[in-house]
Amino acid sequence: MLEWMVWTPPTALVFVGLGLLLAGMAVWAKISPPVARRGFLRIETDRGDRLYIGLISAAVVLTVWIAVTDLSMWLALGCALLVALVIGIWG
Amino acid sequence: MPAKASPVAVAAGIRRQLPWARTVFWLYAATLMLPLLWMFGMSIRPNEDILGSFALIPQRVTFENYQTFFTDPVWYSSYLNSIIYTSMNAVLSLIVALPAAYAFSRFRFAGDRFLFFWLLTNRMAPPAVFLLPFFQIYQSVGLFDTHLGVAIAHMLFNVPLAVWILEGFMSGIPREIDETAAIDGYSLPRFFVRIFLPMIRSGIGVTLFFCFMFSWVELLIARTITSVDAKPIAATMTRTVSAAGVDWGLLAAAGVLTIIPGAIVIWFVRNYVAKGFALGRV
Amino acid sequence: MTGERLNDVSGDVSGEVSTAGAVVAGDRVEPEAPVGAALPRDEPGGQADTKPRNNRAWFLVLPVVVSVAFTAVIPLMTVVNFSVQDIFSPTDRIFVGLDWFRSVSRDPEVRAAFVRTLLFSAQVLLLEIPLGVAIAVSMPRHGLGVPVALVLVALPLLIPWNVVGTIWQIFARGDIGLGGWTINNVLGVNFNYTLDSTDAWITVLIMDVWHWTPLVALLAYAGLRSIPEPYFQAAQIDAASGWATFRHIQLPRLRGVLTIAILLRFMDSFMIYTEPFVVTGGGPGNATSFLSILLSKIAVGQFDLGPAGAFSLLYFLTVQIVSYVFFTVLTRTGR
Repeated sequence: MLEWMVWTPPTALVFVGLGLLLAGMAVWAKISPPVARRGFLRIETDRGDRLYIGLISAAVVLTVWIAVTDLSMWLALGCALLVALVIGIWG
Repeated sequence: MPAKASPVAVAAGIRRQLPWARTVFWLYAATLMLPLLWMFGMSIRPNEDILGSFALIPQRVTFENYQTFFTDPVWYSSYLNSIIYTSMNAVLSLIVALPAAYAFSRFRFAGDRFLFFWLLTNRMAPPAVFLLPFFQIYQSVGLFDTHLGVAIAHMLFNVPLAVWILEGFMSGIPREIDETAAIDGYSLPRFFVRIFLPMIRSGIGVTLFFCFMFSWVELLIARTITSVDAKPIAATMTRTVSAAGVDWGLLAAAGVLTIIPGAIVIWFVRNYVAKGFALGRV
Repeated sequence: MTGERLNDVSGDVSGEVSTAGAVVAGDRVEPEAPVGAALPRDEPGGQADTKPRNNRAWFLVLPVVVSVAFTAVIPLMTVVNFSVQDIFSPTDRIFVGLDWFRSVSRDPEVRAAFVRTLLFSAQVLLLEIPLGVAIAVSMPRHGLGVPVALVLVALPLLIPWNVVGTIWQIFARGDIGLGGWTINNVLGVNFNYTLDSTDAWITVLIMDVWHWTPLVALLAYAGLRSIPEPYFQAAQIDAASGWATFRHIQLPRLRGVLTIAILLRFMDSFMIYTEPFVVTGGGPGNATSFLSILLSKIAVGQFDLGPAGAFSLLYFLTVQIVSYVFFTVLTRTGR
């Protein structure tokens, strides 16, 4: 019934990862409720906001990378994760 | 928030500063009507006159196009289809959006802001590619070519808007009211239906209008997940091209008729819009 | 339910104090119209900082999440799957990694369409938002004029999008349409949207302004009507000029409705498809071939699911970023 969804292992992995990430955030929120604060982004964010901004920024890094250079995408992934991490911690 | 101001005083405040504004507004409204009047003009002219030459006033008036519309089942049944699924969508969107809007307006909960923006992102997906999976899903759950199917599909973009609008209205009602009702022994559902809903009546009216509007005008999704039984009027209108070319007169007549249901809806909610709503933050 | 939610108020207070301070500042009125102090604070208890934290609220949100997820998440997943494969049929397909993303993001045609669409959206916002607010300010406030004005203004919104296209296709024609005929014969300008790219662009832009300014006007009108009377009395006492009253009393109160208006207008204009497709079909040449028109050429015309999937994900990302920026700027700054 779902063969038209044409799943592949890598995309399945990505979605499982996203699901785990969300579940993890929910559990974390249960343990210690998120606190909103201001970081270098200059707007009030809690960790959920920063996760979203981080993921979107990572996607932008990957997109720009693939659009302009032929360097390895693994390098791009590294940079993207770094950006997401920086935003998550200090954003 | 609800309008507490006396309209006359507000009017006085604004009238004083803009004496010429009313004239400008009616000029704008007249300009706005020109394309519509032109379409109406086309709908009462025979095709050869429409394409033949430019004429401000129709020389020959005919109601043949309207006659065709109301005697051809393809036309009038698709018109009914559109009305049915649009109404279903407005009601369904309202039913699921009411509790959600209440939650957003009264509580903070894990991921609320994120959830809200996620809801909104569903309006942002470019339809062209999503149409194929849409078709597949509705086919596999047996909702293909049903009114309910289109109504549910349109909830995708109407529910977020409904939540947003309702949340704005609900935030204008002080929370003390909830608390007083709780002390008086009202359960949450009973409070919601008996006290709260009547208080946000205008919000419900406005929401119904916007849901109706966006569902009524949407074509791509509705056309993709229907074939015959629930085919929308807008899709029927894309198929007027025949060997003789486009039937402009019939198309214009159908166009005129598609405006009517919406005009009726806006007539019913006019007082709610005129009362005003501000829509707070999220 | 009411009982529990009272318990958990404390969790939020520390994080929200700064917001509370800023909300007061958000209602401020600049020295030119010093009416702020005299004003009553409306929205009793409606501020974000006093909301109790209660995760049971999720049960109230669940119906929305389920109903939207059904039609949103599965198609999105499918499109992601499309974007990394070369698909001939559901069983005959090859994993190609990020190749489609590379080719789509480097395609000059896509880039040109991207710039074109961005330009179009910017023009739409710059024209429709101020115009809509101006119309709302000048709309009648009482008497029989109100319902008549509301219905007239709302009419363009209630027309199916392909019908809007059809109306303008005829209306803008130089030989048999009122608009095109007037420009050609009364104004004496040579105007032909099927041959001239500037004319085609202007036609699509004017059509969009005609079609969607009423939405901005309706929302702004509703926002204006919600301003409590004392604000105007105070302004009157201070003899504030018309512009000062608008700038410092009306405009700040419109932020909520204008946020919706700006977001809706951005999203819909950035994804505009049906109307220009009917009127110009993307032409002449590529003059009005916006991203969505190019996309459906690839997806529906050539049935290239892979590139179309990658294309729409990049498209989706763009809309999401711009909307998020608008959303954040409009709802969080200045408070």
